[in-house]
Amino acid sequence: MTLLTEALRARIGEERVYVAPEPLGRAAIRYFALATGDTDPAHLHGEVAPPTLICETNQYANLPRDADGHAGHGWHLEVPGTRLVRGGNAYRFERPVGPDDVITARWRLADMTERVTGAGRRMLVVTSVATYTDQNDRILAVNEETLIYVER
Amino acid sequence: MSSDELVFERTIELPDMIAYAGATWDWHRLHYDMSYLREIDLDRPVVDGQVFGAYLAIAIREWFGPDAVITALSLRFKNLVFAGETIRCLGRTAVEEPGRVELDLRVETTTGRIAVAPASATVQLP
Repeated sequence: MTLLTEALRARIGEERVYVAPEPLGRAAIRYFALATGDTDPAHLHGEVAPPTLICETNQYANLPRDADGHAGHGWHLEVPGTRLVRGGNAYRFERPVGPDDVITARWRLADMTERVTGAGRRMLVVTSVATYTDQNDRILAVNEETLIYVER
Repeated sequence: MSSDELVFERTIELPDMIAYAGATWDWHRLHYDMSYLREIDLDRPVVDGQVFGAYLAIAIREWFGPDAVITALSLRFKNLVFAGETIRCLGRTAVEEPGRVELDLRVETTTGRIAVAPASATVQLP
């Protein structure tokens, strides 16, 4: 039986939109800089966000945590007999992000492809694209994210 | 490797991981809950893979200066990294043009295990 069922395939193209309930904030920027050991004064003063912050945070999603503690976007795909691993990210940064920006993240389920690992296990490669915009609908960053469901 | 131009080292301890979880509003138990970790046959908390994007960005800006602008960054995860391990961000210039460079990057532990590879970035220079 294929991992990529018709039910899963039918979900390609789905979108979820999250609008942050408040501006990003100086404290959030400073906290991220401290947490990552970033010594750039502009980041530590909360004037401008480190480039990856908005792509890595769940702050905008305003979601409750799930049973595992995850509080961010997810497609909640059912792929029996598999475990989920991160594949990678490709970020494109379009413009600086400031503390007064209100982030909207638009996630799109771009593709699902079935492949086989080098060890002969089937895997489902799920590609999502998140586009982050500010309160003036200007694109701040784009994140192409790959998650992989690997057969146990 | 002597040909690498970028060497950025960071030891990732549990308090760093707790701080990162808070900073990113991601409290997944993979990063701290020893009971859960034992259930899945792991003996230490797992570093959140996303943080390597932040570390690479820091490394690049330390290399090229605060006025350098990263316009693209991509990374592929290879292996887990665990609390207490030390990682190195390594890189070299792949393409150099006036006002712009493309970098080949990777992240590995100081024990030689590849954490992130391949990785790359495009940087605009003042």
